Amino acid sequence: MASFSVIDSFKLSKKKFFRAPQWELKLAIRILIGFLVLYFLAAFLFLGIGIYFIVQKTVPDQNPVFFVNEFLIYYFGIELLIRYFVQNLPITDIKPLLVQPISKNKIVQGVMLRSLGSFFNWIPMVILVPFGIVYSLNEPTTYTLWIWVIGVLFISGINNFLVFFINKNRVVALSVFLLLLAGSFFQHVLGIPLLSFFGKGFNYLYLHPISIVVLLALFFGIVCAQYFFLKKQLYLDKGFSQKKERIVGSDLKIFDRAGILGLFIKNDIRLILRNVRARQVVFVGFLFLFYGIIFFSQKVYLESYVMLIFAGVFTTGGFMLSFGQLVPAWDSEYYSFLMCQNIPYRKYLESKLYLMMFSVVISMVLSLPYLYFGLKIMTIIIACAIFNFGMGSFITLYSGAFNATPVKLNVKAKAFENTQNFSLTQLLFTLPKIVLPVLVFYVPFRFFGFSAGILGLILTGLLGLLFRGFLLRAIEKTYQKRKYKTLSSFKKT
Amino acid sequence: MITVTDLSKKYGGTLVLQLPELNIPKGQRFGLVGNNGAGKTTFFSLILDLIESTSGRITINEIDVKSSEDWKPFTAAFIDESYLIGYLTVEEYYYFLGNLRGLSTKEIDTWVLNFESFFNGEILGKKKYLRDLSKGNQKKAGIVGSLIGSPDLVILDEPFANLDPSSQIRLKKLIENIAKNSEITFLISSHDLTHVTEVCDRIVLLENGTILKDIKTTSSTLKELESYFSLKE
Repeated sequence: MASFSVIDSFKLSKKKFFRAPQWELKLAIRILIGFLVLYFLAAFLFLGIGIYFIVQKTVPDQNPVFFVNEFLIYYFGIELLIRYFVQNLPITDIKPLLVQPISKNKIVQGVMLRSLGSFFNWIPMVILVPFGIVYSLNEPTTYTLWIWVIGVLFISGINNFLVFFINKNRVVALSVFLLLLAGSFFQHVLGIPLLSFFGKGFNYLYLHPISIVVLLALFFGIVCAQYFFLKKQLYLDKGFSQKKERIVGSDLKIFDRAGILGLFIKNDIRLILRNVRARQVVFVGFLFLFYGIIFFSQKVYLESYVMLIFAGVFTTGGFMLSFGQLVPAWDSEYYSFLMCQNIPYRKYLESKLYLMMFSVVISMVLSLPYLYFGLKIMTIIIACAIFNFGMGSFITLYSGAFNATPVKLNVKAKAFENTQNFSLTQLLFTLPKIVLPVLVFYVPFRFFGFSAGILGLILTGLLGLLFRGFLLRAIEKTYQKRKYKTLSSFKKT
Repeated sequence: MITVTDLSKKYGGTLVLQLPELNIPKGQRFGLVGNNGAGKTTFFSLILDLIESTSGRITINEIDVKSSEDWKPFTAAFIDESYLIGYLTVEEYYYFLGNLRGLSTKEIDTWVLNFESFFNGEILGKKKYLRDLSKGNQKKAGIVGSLIGSPDLVILDEPFANLDPSSQIRLKKLIENIAKNSEITFLISSHDLTHVTEVCDRIVLLENGTILKDIKTTSSTLKELESYFSLKE
């Protein structure tokens, strides 16, 4: 059999990248993201170096290793959850290889090895190895420390493969989350140290290095299981077949009364309910609701209104920003079909606009608990919501006209690879979406005080609503003008 | 129905289509044949205003497709699977199309019953998303979708490809029936010379973007086309 090595499999990935539409731009973004990853790695590195000293200072009578052990269960639990959401086996990429003279062992090895390169596998290494070095420089240690480090790293490795088993299995992911939540509830609220058992387990590993064989056995067990599992999946009716999906969201009769507009809204709701990528984006939008907590709970930020406006815009506009920036790319798979239907462009755009506006209202209602932080914070949130509702939504819709990278609807976006719909113009368009509200608040605020700033936000929102017709016409014209360009780049997938 | 004048399309200096003049009268079944790259899909995309012509113009019912959208209400097309909305069921897709064309949900329900034999029990009521149907069934669903709301002009790109033999024969009958009972103009491209000569009353042969033959279909048309394509070897 011809030799198809791991290197060949990397070469294929490389070609896939360089031959994608707008790859130059993507390269630039990759480099940017590369820096971001480096930044994170550096941050974790410093954390790794610093842990020893932090523990020395805060709890001098505790062994730093035991201290770290207490946190490991949280770390790995959360890691597993994040992996569940973003990590995917690149199994569809290898479909064309099946009928080539490449042994199945090689294909599976390639896939598994490539998954080990994941960012998540680097984090514990970058934290624990420097921690181990600092520790051994400062205290007399034996090999047991390094056995412990290696053991913990293997847990990350186990997670790496475990996630492919629980992939698509929501129950497992949910129970991990609930167990973790229940565990910390027992631990911190009821004072029953359930999670400490895990910490004790890791302590045991440190004190009795021989117990690493348990972890090694687990790791190799799961690697073997994964290997045979994947090998069995290399058939069209197994790993590549799509599960028959349950039909959801079929009953949407309430929108029938809204005429043509209702038709589009029905489609958009189904788009969100029935496609992985769309659900992912909506989930991200949902997470933005909690964005405010970071800012409103810190004294430092409460002094600076600029930060509070940022927080208000993101909290109430998370869905609008994340979903809206992909209009019209959401419909890229069948855009040419839409373009030759008996569809007024205006109605199409209006339905997207209403969806965004609706999401702002929902977000605002869901933000009501922020009242806990005081009336001032709530005023800011409501003013930002009005801004997003009346003005932000139009800007988002307008910017979409310049986003011509297609979206694959039923394919998950990967972590740090979500460059699929990233473009420089989009980046430029985030400026008015975020800077404008700060500006319309800050200028009146500077001269006439807080209420004037709030009024500035509200008036800008109302202005958008007042000139709704005019703005929509302008947006429609832009979409019309860019129609052929958009069509031709949506064709390239 | 369709008038083409001085139409040309260039991609980066290469001429891919040049049609100085072409008239397709109402009610005609117009067949388009030619090897890959002859310009068939380009021509269809130009009619549907999905790509911009380099020069010249196309009108449907006197409406310039580039400057007005008024041709859309009576024009329908099925070019490929990207003309389906993958995450809808067949029924939802038909309701969407039908409602756009002014039909009520009930009217659509009774209308699709006309196609039961063509569907062969494989399309309706399957509780499946369109993206999960086989290629052949997607094609069937799309072809019928293009007929919803009795448009005046129906454009089908390779309708016979991917269909099983029985469905191909049923599709021929279907088109003939519709043509007999209405004034619908069909534009059909195909690589299957037998089918296209049986279904269409006029055949235009494209090569490298220009019209090589423009034939009114007779019993000898198939032979003529076959001899042309075998000479190409």
